Amino acid sequence: MTQLTMTVNGKAVSGDVEGRTLLVNFLRDTLRLTGTHVGCDTSQCGACVVHVNGQAVKACTMLALEAEGAEVATIEGQADADGSLNAIQQAFQDHHGLQCGFCTPGMVMSAAALLKENPKPTEAEVRDYLEGNICRCTGYHNIVKAIMAASGQDVGAIAAE
Amino acid sequence: MGFHRPDRIEDALAALASGASVIAGGTDWYPSRGDGPVPMNVLDVTRLQGFRGITRDGAGWRIGAATTWTDIARADLPPAFDGLKRAAREVGGLQIQNAGTLGGNLCNASPAADGMPPLLTLDPKVELIGPHGAREVPLADFVTGPRQADLREGELLAALHIPDPGPSAGGFIKLGARKYLVISIAMVAALVHVEGGRVAWARVAVGACSPVARRLSALEADLQGVAVNALAGAVRPDHLKDLSPIGDVRGSAGYRLDAVAELVGRAIAQAARGA
Repeated sequence: MTQLTMTVNGKAVSGDVEGRTLLVNFLRDTLRLTGTHVGCDTSQCGACVVHVNGQAVKACTMLALEAEGAEVATIEGQADADGSLNAIQQAFQDHHGLQCGFCTPGMVMSAAALLKENPKPTEAEVRDYLEGNICRCTGYHNIVKAIMAASGQDVGAIAAE
Repeated sequence: MGFHRPDRIEDALAALASGASVIAGGTDWYPSRGDGPVPMNVLDVTRLQGFRGITRDGAGWRIGAATTWTDIARADLPPAFDGLKRAAREVGGLQIQNAGTLGGNLCNASPAADGMPPLLTLDPKVELIGPHGAREVPLADFVTGPRQADLREGELLAALHIPDPGPSAGGFIKLGARKYLVISIAMVAALVHVEGGRVAWARVAVGACSPVARRLSALEADLQGVAVNALAGAVRPDHLKDLSPIGDVRGSAGYRLDAVAELVGRAIAQAARGA
C-alpha cells in the first residue's frame, strides 16, 4: 500500500491505496464520493469524467496514484457555495438534459471543462466536445441545449425533442 | 513493488529493472488487462525530466514521449504537423487526449495507432534510454509488428526527433464506423511540399491496413512533379500493393482496400491544399 494525498473539491484528502487502484475507486470506495459513475469501465462512456488539475479525464482508467498531489474536481464539488445547483446543473434541470441520470455527472463535468475553455461554444462545438460522453436515453438533444443555455446563449431556436 | 513516479531517469530505469509495468497516461493500460490480473508494480513516466513537451532542437523538433495529444493539438507548430494535429484530435475523446501520450501510443504498437501514419510522414527517430545508455532508431524500424516494438530489456522511449520538415504541409484522414470514438478501419497521412504548382515531394503513410503502418514509397516517387490540379488521378491500385489488410469486425479486407484507395487521394489533396 502507498500513501496517497490529493485535493478533492478543495479539501485535502489522503488514504492508503495499492498501485493498481483506479482513481474512480479511490473516489467512490475510499472517499465515498459516489457521484462519479462507472459505466463501461473501459474509458468509452464518460460517466466517470472528473477534472485533474483542471483537465477533464476519465477516472476509470487513471490510477489513483497518477493523481498524487493533484487538484481533483468531481460532481460533488460543482454546486455553488450555498449548496444550490450551479449554472450548468440548473440548465440540465431546466432543459430536461437527462432521463435516467447515469451519464449526467460525466456530462456536467465535461460541460464544465468545455465552458472553461470555450465560454460561448456553437452547437457543433458542444456536440464535438461531448464525443467521449455517451448517453443512451436522451438522444443528446436536450443535453446540448442545456449546455448552450448554461453558456448564456439563446436556445429558443433549438427545437425541443 | 508499488507505484513509481520518479523525475530522474536513473530512478525510472531502476524501477523498470525491478519488473515494473510502464504507463504513460495509462488510458489503454488498464482496459487492455481484460479480465486478467492488474500488475502490482507500476512505473509512471509522465513526470520524468524532459519527457513532456515539444521543443525546437538544432536539426528540427523534439517531442517528449509523455507529451499528451492535447499538448500536440494546442502546440504552435508549422503546417507540416497539421496531419499529426488532426490525428491527435482523433485519439479517443477529449478526456483521453488529455491523458494519453504519443509515447504510449507508439510503444503500444497497435496496427491502428492513430499517431503512427502522420509520424511516419515526418520521418522521425525515436530516442531510447536504457541501462547501457541512449540509442536512436528510425520510427519505421521501431514498431516491428502488432503489439511489438524494438524496446530492449530495461529501455524506455524518451522522445521523438523530427527533422525540420521545411515548408511542407500535412494531412490526415481516419475512417471509422462512426464519426467519434472509434478504432480506425483505415487511415492515411500525407505530407506534401508544393513548388510552382507541382508536388516537389510527398510522403504518404497508411495505418490499419498492414501489421505495422507503412509508407507507400512507389506512390511517393510517382507523385513527384505532378501538378497539384492533376492529383485526382495520381493514385493507382498498384500503389497499394504493399498493403495487406485483414478482415475483422470493423471491416473486410476488400472494403479496407477500396476505402484506402479513396482516402489516400483525399489525404494528399488535403495536404496539398495546406501547402
